[in-house]
Amino acid sequence: MSRNLTALAARKGKGLTNNLFERIANLAQENGTTDKEAMARLADEFLIGKANVYGTASFYDFTRAENQGKKVYVCSGSACLLAGTQDAVRAELSKHFQPHEIGEMCCLGRCHENSAFHLGGQNYSAKSAVEIAQIISGALTDSIDDYHVAHIGTPILTGQFPALDKCRAAIAAMFKAGPEALLQAIKTSGLRGRGGAGFPMAFKLEACRKAPGTPRFIVCNADEGDPGAFSDRYLMEHRPFAVLLGMLIAGYAAEAECGVIYIRAEYPESVAIIQEAIQALTEAGLNGDNLLGSDFGFHFKLIKAQGAYICGEETALLQSIEGKRPEVRVRPPYPAQEGLFGKPTVVNNVETLANLYFILTEGGEAFAQIGTQQSTGTKLLSLDSSFRRPGLYEVDMGTPLAKAIQTLGGGFRRPVKALHIGGPLGGLVPVHKISDLTIDFESFAQEGFLLGHASIVGIPEEYPMVQYLEHLFAFTAHESCGKCFPCRIGSVRGKEMLQKAQSESYKIDWELFNDLIETLAKGSLCALGGGIPLPVRNALAYFKEELKPFFSAYGTGRISAGAMPG
Amino acid sequence: MIATVQTKEPAVAVKMAFINGKPYEMREGETILTFLKRHLGEKHIPTLCDAPNLEPFGACRVCSVEIARQGNGTPKTVASCHTPIEEGLMIYPDSESVLKLRRNLIELVLTDHPLDCLTCEVNGNCELQDVAAKVGIRKVRYPEGKTHLDRPKDLSHPYMTSDLSKCIMCYRCVRACDEVQGQLVLSVAGRGFDSKIIKGMDQSFFDSDCVSCGACAQACPTSAISDIYESKSVVAHKKVRTVCTYCGVGCNLEVKVNGGKVMAIQAPWDAEVNAGHTCLKGRYAFSFYKHPERLQYPMMRKNGQLERVTWDEAYDYLAKRLIEIKEKYGGDAIAGISSSRCTNEENYLMQKMIRACFGTNNIDGCARVCHSPTALGMQRTFGTGAATNSIADLKHTDCILIIGANPTAGHPVTGAKLKQKAMKGTPLIVIDPRRTEIAKYATHHLQLRPGTNVAVLNMMLYYIIQEGLMDKDFIAQRTEGFDEFREGILSLNIDELEAVSGVPREQAKAAAITYATAKTAMAFHGLGVTEHYQGTYAVMLIADLAMITGNVGKPGCGVNPLRGQNNVQGMADMGAQPYQGAGYLDVTDPAVRATYEAFYGAPISDRVGYTIPEMYDAALAGKLKALWVMGEDMAQSDPNTHHVVKALSSLELLIVQEIFMTETAKLAHVVLPGATFLEKEGTFTNGERRIQRVQKVVEPIGESKPDGQIIVEMMNRLGYPQQPYTAKGILEEISQIVPFFAGVRWDELGNNGKQWPVLPDGTDTKILHQGAFKRGKGRFVFREYVETREIIDYAQDYPFILTTNRVLEQYNAGTMTRRTPNVQIVHEDVLLINPQDARSRHISNGDWVRIESARGECKVKARLSNEVKPGILSTTFHFPELMVNNVTSDVHDSIAKCPEYKVVSVRIEKV
Repeated sequence: MSRNLTALAARKGKGLTNNLFERIANLAQENGTTDKEAMARLADEFLIGKANVYGTASFYDFTRAENQGKKVYVCSGSACLLAGTQDAVRAELSKHFQPHEIGEMCCLGRCHENSAFHLGGQNYSAKSAVEIAQIISGALTDSIDDYHVAHIGTPILTGQFPALDKCRAAIAAMFKAGPEALLQAIKTSGLRGRGGAGFPMAFKLEACRKAPGTPRFIVCNADEGDPGAFSDRYLMEHRPFAVLLGMLIAGYAAEAECGVIYIRAEYPESVAIIQEAIQALTEAGLNGDNLLGSDFGFHFKLIKAQGAYICGEETALLQSIEGKRPEVRVRPPYPAQEGLFGKPTVVNNVETLANLYFILTEGGEAFAQIGTQQSTGTKLLSLDSSFRRPGLYEVDMGTPLAKAIQTLGGGFRRPVKALHIGGPLGGLVPVHKISDLTIDFESFAQEGFLLGHASIVGIPEEYPMVQYLEHLFAFTAHESCGKCFPCRIGSVRGKEMLQKAQSESYKIDWELFNDLIETLAKGSLCALGGGIPLPVRNALAYFKEELKPFFSAYGTGRISAGAMPG
Repeated sequence: MIATVQTKEPAVAVKMAFINGKPYEMREGETILTFLKRHLGEKHIPTLCDAPNLEPFGACRVCSVEIARQGNGTPKTVASCHTPIEEGLMIYPDSESVLKLRRNLIELVLTDHPLDCLTCEVNGNCELQDVAAKVGIRKVRYPEGKTHLDRPKDLSHPYMTSDLSKCIMCYRCVRACDEVQGQLVLSVAGRGFDSKIIKGMDQSFFDSDCVSCGACAQACPTSAISDIYESKSVVAHKKVRTVCTYCGVGCNLEVKVNGGKVMAIQAPWDAEVNAGHTCLKGRYAFSFYKHPERLQYPMMRKNGQLERVTWDEAYDYLAKRLIEIKEKYGGDAIAGISSSRCTNEENYLMQKMIRACFGTNNIDGCARVCHSPTALGMQRTFGTGAATNSIADLKHTDCILIIGANPTAGHPVTGAKLKQKAMKGTPLIVIDPRRTEIAKYATHHLQLRPGTNVAVLNMMLYYIIQEGLMDKDFIAQRTEGFDEFREGILSLNIDELEAVSGVPREQAKAAAITYATAKTAMAFHGLGVTEHYQGTYAVMLIADLAMITGNVGKPGCGVNPLRGQNNVQGMADMGAQPYQGAGYLDVTDPAVRATYEAFYGAPISDRVGYTIPEMYDAALAGKLKALWVMGEDMAQSDPNTHHVVKALSSLELLIVQEIFMTETAKLAHVVLPGATFLEKEGTFTNGERRIQRVQKVVEPIGESKPDGQIIVEMMNRLGYPQQPYTAKGILEEISQIVPFFAGVRWDELGNNGKQWPVLPDGTDTKILHQGAFKRGKGRFVFREYVETREIIDYAQDYPFILTTNRVLEQYNAGTMTRRTPNVQIVHEDVLLINPQDARSRHISNGDWVRIESARGECKVKARLSNEVKPGILSTTFHFPELMVNNVTSDVHDSIAKCPEYKVVSVRIEKV
């Protein structure tokens, strides 16, 4: 990380007021990419050198030169891929657009109905050819999708969220009780991060609070880029106040005065709804200085991402907000010590933050009662179109996976051989292992999988596993920030080997492939390169017969294809 | 080493971590890699993205090790470069799993790297090659895939080269450009496998904003970024450590020599001054030393022409003529001008020859035209005319004040350090008429009218007193004259000062508060302070600012002149001034004279000698007959050229020791070929009083000789028995007469030199005036702002103010840098003019502009720039054929006689 760039972005742009990242994104607004002269002027204004503005702009899908002239984007996420709907969408769009006007976006969060594409700043899915034509002509504008929402157990996140008046009273009571009481409640609740790592939230809040330096920041990681997951999108679009007030509550606990919510550009509806919600909070006296007459102030800032999966990694996310290239930083320093603009920062996922209002109002103990001993509370599940009832469900932690699939999902719509749970870096669960799993961090880890975002994508029986593995490597290669050697080079080499094995008589050297996976797992700087080995190992272990023809000496020499987490 | 630490800090319990089960002492805050390097040796753990002067980055992962915490048995693989050590940590640096990981990582790297090692520039000096050999790669098992081997080379630049097909994406170049130079020219474009290093907006080196410092080339582990000299890999018979000849920063250089030729220069990592960094002048601009125009034999004027003679003929002639002149007109008819480009030993000998052989104090040096006001002003206030602190103190400072200096161009390595601090947010106050590069990073830039430093400094002092921000204890205990000073300051008319300086009072006040409220504040100044009518007073006020806030005598503070020439400090220390001898001792003091006479074994004059401007006047008046000049080109660099040339032409005997045929040498009766810094030994003293060894790298070209040797041989011809020129011998002699050199010994200076005063036991001094000032108490003197005669007399007819500035790529009159590829980067002087002024006079970028002053005129090409305010012009002066000194004034500093180069009333028109 460059301390100089961080300091200059903080100083020249006053951090969030004149935000460098937004300025770069705005440059691309007009024609899909940034203009060199405008970039040079921006570099002069921020004193950061032309190379850095250019370097940042060239990183993101929606600011890089390749994005110029793109008018429509087809979803390339796992669920749409596996559902096999996208060739048809592309063919339909090709009737209206030139090939160079059609781009790709990785997961629009329409995993429940597929055929997703992005046009004119809105997302559409499951539209017929006629409807697509109407959308393009402007006759049809309705982009809202619909999906099942239900729960098993306590609906902490999917239940009715109180009106703002009631919230104001709760917040006022929070100010009265003081930050220690709040922090204690969060500790008691046992709330763990829902973004994948499952890190205890109270620990981060406390570390941030104790760290020297102001202003402190709460950053809501709404860059839910995991193909297959739409739980964060649900929360932002349907429970925006739960998310935003969660940030405010976290801010109070960490004594942070700024809240940044960084939302994927692929979710235009979420961006619009959160923007409105922030406005509503301002009007309700919950955004600004001296909230409700207290001496605590909290300032919301929405930042729209520009298309880079890696920004879901917390340090890359911080770099992104600073207008730098979102390359993963080494830790330490941890964000709680030296985070956004070099100040103490807590980064949390949308779902994690959305739980705080419940903990505030119902108490930490009430939260801890739900779920299991170590995984408290509930978990949102995103079920894709391979289920009879695709949708967004909330279950108490510890609920058997099979039960959720049966009672909520209604079983499978088409034959599947495995579930990819927790995004592209989550585990590949063969159908026979479903009954061994309960929905909590421990059960998944113990069985050699990962709960992650708890997005569930079904892999159809007929979909070749080798092709799916190639897709995973291709995804990693496309999204790798390029900083650490294993991920930058290894993801490409993995993809190439899998490709070659399908198209030529080439057999993948078993030992080499295992060396590559091990190198990625042990050597990568972040969870992208470090995470890809998990599903790959699961596949090697559970789909041996299917994969065997593509390898030389499968499983000989040394067995490391066991379902062990990376 | 460990024992020392323990005895010094007995209270700290030693903490241990384990390597393969064996305990080793750890240090708080170090990384596992540093810990392992300390105990297993520098090279034990292979690394690629790690570099000695860069922050941990964690890209290559080659330094990975296995660790386990006690009681938690499962080992974990971590990159050792960015993982902190912990007490009790178990580290397995060479486990099977780690060795395999490293091998597999390098194999991946090699899938996208050319395997043409034998023909590669860095073959045998390649870090990737070393690491690959160490981890044991035999073959690359991956099938052929996508590569970047077809990336084109970039050979656009006179020095920098790149071949990104060799790039391994370790980011060391990008980080060096950021963390070392602070230029931010390099970054990465794209992402993932296709990401690549870019210069600017994916331009060539030449088209980018690169300042050619070479930090990236030195940082690059392969030949992806290099330079035309192949500096990091060229095989040399020997490497010689020496000191740069350009500015007063005093960078250490490691010179690679092959067959008596300089092949390349790099910056040693262990140099305290420049730790692996230099600017393009130090690193690349060395080829002047073997330029065909070097003077290679002595010459004498015969029948109006300079003709080649032997050394004997020249010496005989000189001895005869000098003795004649001395006998006929007296010793005061002879004078010498010494050189801040030469070594301490040479300067010492030069002043010694003038004083002991000719019996006169007519010795001066180019410091007269640069920092003489600094020496004088600081001597009068503190007692010592040298920087109070060390550049390394920047680590400890909370506020930086830069007045009249452009360090990123004039003192690039110090400039880069200052910029690093400013970029990271250390409050920076810049007082300068120009929006210099460093001013862009300033918290407060007081963009004053040239010549009004005293007004602005007085405003700042006013607000410090008015706001009660003085350090009362410091003032009471360590200073004198404060009450009177305070009265003077409070009686100032701020309306007037605001009007004359053009600096709003709020700005001056804010800057004053920033400076005064910082825990420590460090002031730097340059020729923008000294080359003025009130230069000495401005220096004294900077010293007053430091005293009033207690910013003297502790780390991270003080008054620190950025000395221009490599040895301008040393030249003054050695006594090249008309009123003080070696060691700044007053020649009019009988006791001092007695000491000198006893030591030199010759009578010493009791009369203060001529300063350089006085020498010209004396020559024109017929009082000065002979002038011996060592390495100084007054005919080009001194103001009011007509006057200077006339004076030099009226001499009976002009002797010039030079490396090139300069304008001054062309006027000489005798020209003696001197040696460059690469061809001699001695010591230079940098701007922070650091005496460093200059080592001979190659033999002097042709018949040229080290300047010190020439003086010694001449002295002996004049009948004065002077020991031969060796750095060791002459330094020994100096140590016996210069008090603050008492403990200086050639053999003890080591790689990083010593900062004077050096006590007889060899202990040196990083910070002056600790506890007490050299002169006892610091002396406050109130001085009011007075407008220079130049403005009073000429502003009406010549409404613009012309000031002067430098560029990074050229050095002074360009004698050296213009004989290097630097001219391909900057090949002409430019006149900075505000676009508003340019518009009103129909001047466009690149137009020739005639500049006219009361003295004369010259023509310079215009560059429209917002760096200068309307009404102000600034010109560079590296190409003396433009004759900028035809227009400069003959106003001098009222006390130190330094010429006022920085304020000239002019009018302009498009040619």
